Amino acid sequence: MAGLKKLGELQKSEERLAYLLLLPTLFILVAIAIYPLATVFYNSLTDKKFASSQEVSFIGLRNYRELLSVTVKELPPVIDADTGEVQIDSETNQPVYERAINILPREPFRFRAMKQFNLFGKMYVIGATDREFVRAIGDTLAFTVVTVILETILGLGVALVVNANFKGRGVMRAVMLVPWAIPTAVSSRMWEWMFNSTRTGLVNVVFQNLGIGNGQIPFLVDTAWQIPAMITIDVWKTTPFMALLLLAGLQLIPKDLYEAADVDGAGMIRKFFTITLPLLRPTLAVALVFRTLDAIRVFDLFQIVLQNTRFSMASFAFYNLIDSQTMGYSSASSVVIFVLISVFAVFYIRLLGAEND
Amino acid sequence: MKTNRILWTVASMMMAAAMVLTACGPAATEPPAATEAPMTEAPETEAPMEEITLRVFAGNVGQELELTKEAAGRYMVLHPEVNVEVVDTPDFVEDRLGVYLQLFEAQSPEGDVFQIDVIWPGDLAEHFVDLNEYGAADVAGDHFPAIIENNTVDGKLVGIPWFTDAGLLYYRTDLLEKYGYNAAPATWAELEEMARTIQEGERADGNEDFWGYVWQGNAYEGLTCDALEWVDSSGGGTIVSPEKLITVNNDAAIAAVEMAASWVGDISPDGVTGFGEEDARGVWQAGNAAFMRNWPYAYSLGQADDSVIKDKFDVSPLPAGDAGHGSATLGGWQLAVSRYSEHPAEAADLALFMASYDEQKARAIEGSFNPTVMSLYQDEDVLAATPFFGSLYDVFINAVARPSTATAPQYADTSRIFYNGVHSVLTGEVDAMTAFEEMELDLQDLLGYDVGQP
Repeated sequence: MAGLKKLGELQKSEERLAYLLLLPTLFILVAIAIYPLATVFYNSLTDKKFASSQEVSFIGLRNYRELLSVTVKELPPVIDADTGEVQIDSETNQPVYERAINILPREPFRFRAMKQFNLFGKMYVIGATDREFVRAIGDTLAFTVVTVILETILGLGVALVVNANFKGRGVMRAVMLVPWAIPTAVSSRMWEWMFNSTRTGLVNVVFQNLGIGNGQIPFLVDTAWQIPAMITIDVWKTTPFMALLLLAGLQLIPKDLYEAADVDGAGMIRKFFTITLPLLRPTLAVALVFRTLDAIRVFDLFQIVLQNTRFSMASFAFYNLIDSQTMGYSSASSVVIFVLISVFAVFYIRLLGAEND
Repeated sequence: MKTNRILWTVASMMMAAAMVLTACGPAATEPPAATEAPMTEAPETEAPMEEITLRVFAGNVGQELELTKEAAGRYMVLHPEVNVEVVDTPDFVEDRLGVYLQLFEAQSPEGDVFQIDVIWPGDLAEHFVDLNEYGAADVAGDHFPAIIENNTVDGKLVGIPWFTDAGLLYYRTDLLEKYGYNAAPATWAELEEMARTIQEGERADGNEDFWGYVWQGNAYEGLTCDALEWVDSSGGGTIVSPEKLITVNNDAAIAAVEMAASWVGDISPDGVTGFGEEDARGVWQAGNAAFMRNWPYAYSLGQADDSVIKDKFDVSPLPAGDAGHGSATLGGWQLAVSRYSEHPAEAADLALFMASYDEQKARAIEGSFNPTVMSLYQDEDVLAATPFFGSLYDVFINAVARPSTATAPQYADTSRIFYNGVHSVLTGEVDAMTAFEEMELDLQDLLGYDVGQP
């Protein structure tokens, strides 16, 4: 009995020691993560102005309402005052609808038209109080999905190539990393020049020779081209990183498995799908989590190349903080981004983790 | 396994938090790399005082930075106890303001002298010292009174004028002659017609990259300047009138911006909606444009020995619209001393030195930067180097100011609403009528002023 009791005490003192040892970590976490995060959250409930001595007042959830309010309204057709009938546009032969700006509510925040669409013969308009933010969320998600898919496929291809045995493999592996080794600020500028809107830009010259456009496509200004251009730059830049991670995974696969498969007479494709891919899955999972969370908070690329003409979520927050000086509003958008990323991260990791169990 | 899950969840939340914070926090940005001015070996003094370092945050458009460094070098020769570092700042005005604001938010003594835009004194006054207390009162009378007035906020002289700017029309004399025109265009319609003729002719002659007219169309402060010129010269007012009425939404303004939108892809490149000053100058100085709207600084660069258009161009006032007169937006930069500087007296002395008669003269000759000291417009050396300072004197003194006084301290937001609205019309995203209605509503929300007609 006495021995057991003693064991219990020992356990307790070990527990105490464990907590004591955890303290420094906890302290650092509070100092560098919890405290700033709490400050951001608190600021998001105020109208604080950046770099100003203006008095700060608490405004509750007003910033969030202004950021996230979205509405759909029906646009009634315009009735001709003389005939009492619906006005028809003489050029397009379509009925004329009331203009969105007159229909969307203006109180307490003004809704701005985002998109009009026709459903069952009626015209509707989607309005948002901050259409830039709503658009930034959409753009960032689209950017994330497309870049991660492309980088994974291309990265896997590159990794398989440099994993094979050939002369000059070491050099190839080093060369492969060059795009990733260039700082984004530099490579963004480089691509900005290549995407130049005149024929001084390489992309325009190439496109013109391929018969696309007249050599004057404003890639970085035209809204239809902006996001594809961003995706191109990011894929060029980050595929090597993906390849590097996957290469590490490939090297962990024991060679004798392939030898056994050779003996059994399996072909290249069969070997890839039954040996390489299943054994690469844990690495692939980690790489995907990394890239997805990285892509969703993309900042530098958008900030440097698009210069506030179109935003990613992070550059939106930066723009509102620095250029608009609306620190409270910017903090609110940061909190929304934080929640979005957390949800993403939790789901992602659960999904992958569950499969691993 | 369950604890493991929770741990993962917590870990991923932390990771997300850290990522958001690193991405969006009010980043503790290092100031851009300071570059030492060229003349650092200052002569030894007998009683070596403690050396102090002053940092000047200056622009880098054209030869600006070089000239500022030279001025800093001259100051250090006169004041060996002072070490002046010239810090390069971003070209885009908004980005430059961003750098400054980050220093001011931290009340950082990192910067002593700041080059500030003519539109900033109202918005930024609280961060600068009153230069009148440091001897500026004696020299203020030498400068253009309108600029001194602009820089005076509540009786406090926020910045000493350094150079002034006004929008000008650059045109190729050789091409005008080639196509049978004997004078620069007097109206926008004439400009359009001449630009189209020259562009078609030059392209037929084999220069596929030739454009009629280049200007600043990116969504930034520069577009506010350009658009204000179109609008004001058409009788559409100045966005917000000095009497604090929101006048932006009127037929003349809408027509003026629609006119500019029709240029895009016709006489101006499709990419002009992404152009800043230096992009426009790039096309112009390569000899690929017949006309350019730009500030005076482009003159001396175009006249440089390695320029292909040397002696083939001239400048004139911008064309007139329905108002019957052309309009040039007033630009220009001041030197201000930070309230957070550790050496405000020395910094003010440096600022006054850099804005003095001799220094402005050097900048006018080498860089065609318009002096703010009135008597320099009669100086023979200056007029020999940049003859248009004399011939276009009226343009400079009658330049139209952006509504920075009427809207202070909300000018930055006012301008943003305006240039974003105009930009959406130029790119064809929104029709002009809707864009101007939206601008009007946005300005009402922002400023709370009444709506009026110009």
